[in-house]
Amino acid sequence: MQVGFAVNILNMLPFGPLAFMLLLPLVGALVAYFAGKEGRVIALFVTFLELALSLLLVLAVNTGPILEPGALNAGMNFINVFVIGSIDIGVVTTFQFILGVDGLSAIMVLLSNLVVFIAAISSNHIHKSEGLYYSLFLLLQTGLMGVFMSMDLIGFFIFWELVLIPMFFIIGRWGEEGCEHAAVKFFIYTHLGSAVMLVAFFMMYLVAGDATGTYTFALIQIDSMGPEGLRTLIPNLAPMVQIGFALAIFMGAGVKLPVWPLHNWLPWAHVKAPTPGSVILAGILLKMGGYTFIRLGLWLIPSAFARLSIPFAVLAIFTCIYAAFTAMAQTDLKSLVAYTSINHMSWVLLGVAVAAFGIGLDPGISANLRFINAANLALQGSIFMMFSHGTIISVMFIMAGQLKYSAGTREIPDIKGLMNRAPKMSAVLILASFAAFGLPGFSGFIAEALVIFGSVVIYLWAGIITFGIFVTVGYILWMLNRIVFSDPDPEKEVSEAPWSDLIAPILMMIPVILLGIWPDLVLDFTQAVVTFIIGGIVP
Amino acid sequence: MMQQLDLIAGFLRDIFAPLRDFILASNFPKEWIMSLPALTLILFAILTLVVGFKYNPLGLSFLGLILAVVEMVIFNPLDPVITAIPEIGAGGSSFGGLFVRDPLADFFIYIILIVGFLVLMSSTLYGGDKGPYNFMLLVSFAGAIWVVMATDFVGLFLAWELMSTPTYILVALGPMRESIDGATKYFIMGLLATMLMLFGIAIVYGVTGSTSLAIVATYVAPTPNAAYTLMLAVVLFIASFGFKVGVFPGWQWVPDAYASADGSITAYLAGGSKKTGVGALMRILIVGFVLYQAQWTLLIVGVSILTMIIGNVLALAQKDIMRMLAYSSIAMMGYLFIGIAAANDLGVGAALFHAFTHALMKTAAFILIWALSLKLAKRITYDDLKGLSKRAPVATGMFAILMLSLAGMPLTVGFWSKLLLFMSAVTAGMWWLALIGLLNSVFSLGYYLRVLRYTYMMDPADDSRVELPAIPLAAVVICAAAVILLFIFPSIILDYAYAAVP
Repeated sequence: MQVGFAVNILNMLPFGPLAFMLLLPLVGALVAYFAGKEGRVIALFVTFLELALSLLLVLAVNTGPILEPGALNAGMNFINVFVIGSIDIGVVTTFQFILGVDGLSAIMVLLSNLVVFIAAISSNHIHKSEGLYYSLFLLLQTGLMGVFMSMDLIGFFIFWELVLIPMFFIIGRWGEEGCEHAAVKFFIYTHLGSAVMLVAFFMMYLVAGDATGTYTFALIQIDSMGPEGLRTLIPNLAPMVQIGFALAIFMGAGVKLPVWPLHNWLPWAHVKAPTPGSVILAGILLKMGGYTFIRLGLWLIPSAFARLSIPFAVLAIFTCIYAAFTAMAQTDLKSLVAYTSINHMSWVLLGVAVAAFGIGLDPGISANLRFINAANLALQGSIFMMFSHGTIISVMFIMAGQLKYSAGTREIPDIKGLMNRAPKMSAVLILASFAAFGLPGFSGFIAEALVIFGSVVIYLWAGIITFGIFVTVGYILWMLNRIVFSDPDPEKEVSEAPWSDLIAPILMMIPVILLGIWPDLVLDFTQAVVTFIIGGIVP
Repeated sequence: MMQQLDLIAGFLRDIFAPLRDFILASNFPKEWIMSLPALTLILFAILTLVVGFKYNPLGLSFLGLILAVVEMVIFNPLDPVITAIPEIGAGGSSFGGLFVRDPLADFFIYIILIVGFLVLMSSTLYGGDKGPYNFMLLVSFAGAIWVVMATDFVGLFLAWELMSTPTYILVALGPMRESIDGATKYFIMGLLATMLMLFGIAIVYGVTGSTSLAIVATYVAPTPNAAYTLMLAVVLFIASFGFKVGVFPGWQWVPDAYASADGSITAYLAGGSKKTGVGALMRILIVGFVLYQAQWTLLIVGVSILTMIIGNVLALAQKDIMRMLAYSSIAMMGYLFIGIAAANDLGVGAALFHAFTHALMKTAAFILIWALSLKLAKRITYDDLKGLSKRAPVATGMFAILMLSLAGMPLTVGFWSKLLLFMSAVTAGMWWLALIGLLNSVFSLGYYLRVLRYTYMMDPADDSRVELPAIPLAAVVICAAAVILLFIFPSIILDYAYAAVP
């Protein structure tokens, strides 16, 4: 789908649309720092503009050509190259930013701008050094979008690491009691994952270069005359080498996603962060992990992921059930929501693992067709899950943060009778909770249904993950029962949230419900990319 | 190859062309021309000593340093007018080839001059006897310049002593009682290193019959015993120069001397004299003992790993910021040695680049902490950093940038230097070394982030503003700005670093 006027508007922007979108928050960050208290206005303006631009971007991306045989650039749109530096020592090593978007990237950029905009609105309780806060906030936005736009390993890594700095300060400076520790933990955990991933990037450069003679960090071929990208170089390598890459990518993306043994930073960071910080952490930072699994995993080293399909699927199912039970044991609402995130993001990994099975199957053989279609379905489910979870969890975190102001605590046993005392808040919380456990009519249902329908065709035992849904429904309803539908406690003061605090969650419920009844809004854009990755024909 | 700063250099050369022509036409010995920057510094050192009896000679030191920079630029060793002079030739030699100004030497000389300039800016805070202070500082700069120019072991030894001896006294001149202890430790270990170096030189002379690096480089050992003896010399050189650089096994003096000396001197030790050790060692290993590369690579790998681990573990245990920075310097040299261990063009260039960026970051960090320490009239510990962002926002911002750069985060040049070093290890087939380096880098976050945590996330014990003195703060701001600018345009320095690879 490509809308003419959107393309025209984007092409009018200086430096190219993608670079403009990256630079705008950077400039905004500088201005916001010096604006002090007025930084909020600037942040709202910039994030709104970015949201509008990303909507245009989604409309302007041409998703069709990716499926044409011999598609150049792997179907990337708006490619823009910026060389930072190059070293000539016999072999020329170029460090560069290659920006480009396909349907998947465009959707992720839209999600990140949506979540950042909502987070900016819900920053209304930040009253401490606002200039610095909004400046870091906008810097964070640049980093997040850069990750989804980069088509070069070094550029990708720069943005990937760039996200850590503002997030570290936001958690540590504006968070709650004990947030400093959480911030350091978050930083070190993610940096550790990235470090392993960086070695893999160097190895890709070296091994692919030694094998094919083209030393490059670029993922795609920029023009028809230029050198090939890693996406076409890596399949030439030995399978064991590719599996090594896949494991290193797993370390980097698995910390962010997070997957079971690497998840320990998440509850800390999410609980201690200020509300907008939690929203961005859960809404986008986790999606960076999911996106990396797809972009640097399935898209870049498909055959290695195909071999690791079963271990990843098992890990995903275990993570889902483990996180569901852990969530049940939480008494802090924010902590419960944080574990819900782990629980839901494991669906993304399951979808990826199942989709990997479908890669490499020959679509010409009719017996393979149902597996390929199932893989296609599961991967679409993964992407949809990222989008829908990003929107739902933002609402959940905002509501959890709001309870602190309305009820003075977030401890589930201490809050009673929210329905009587604060009906508006309760309504939003109930809707969001229903969406979170995947009630039909909300986007969460579509995502889970797509993943599970795809998975059971390929691995019947993947149906065990439904036990995770079962537990999730249980603990969320139990939570609602204790907070919302209990009898009011006359000794505990619970006040209704003002409309100014409810704007952000209500706005965010719009895409949740809209996507629940019209999932094609997202799926239409990602369909072609998914088919391209799986390598089959459109189902 | 057109390099980034050629325009500025060309401009300076045009302006000062008459001066150059005058010196070339005069009876000034042609042998001395390439050493002119160092000779100028010596001359100004004597002048400052004399002037220092009555006035503050700091302005004179600045003048000498700027003049040295101008002489560096106008006597370009690649200029056909210069190379046509028989005493200088294509290699930029001086004193009969004892010292040369090749691209490698030039790169380090510019590091020394930049660090020297920053150190002089910080020296405005010096409260002691200014004449001898400036004298020794300038003599040490001159010695440092000759160290990186030396291509002969005898010249190297002389320059080494010329550089080191004043620093022993400068460390002892620090305002606190401990500085005597630190200086004593530094002096004794320095003497030990000198002895080892002399022993190494004697061995090399005994085996090869020459002290010139060029002859050593082409000398093929006739018997295995001769080769082993030369290997012993290599070990001795690594130990003795590694002492100055502050790597395993000679690192023990670093924290004591750095933490107790006057902060400006610490900045010079960390930014300048440390780099001369790197330069000299690089020249000895990569030019002189290139035939033994397979052997010394393993040695350097070991040195690098041990240095990183020692530096990082001990830095984490420190409470005093100066000591933490000192240990962090040790760790940074461990990273630098990864590049030398890789021993390919990428690695050596990365090590050179890292030498430059580390000089910027560490010099600025020491200057900043020293200025703060004088302002608060106490040694700076983590507790003094509490809530500093509210008391001194600009200085804290600069310090945060420097810490992030040392940690190797994007938006700062530390990212590129670490990236290149680890990449060079991978391209040399040592991915495990890159992984060890990266894990160390993650570990080092433990103390870099602690600084950010105390400065930005805690509330100050008292809310009074801290106004830092303007000139040292300006030096820090210059460095922090350069750190960010070089992230965006790393080519400015990268081109020179890679042109300097021998």
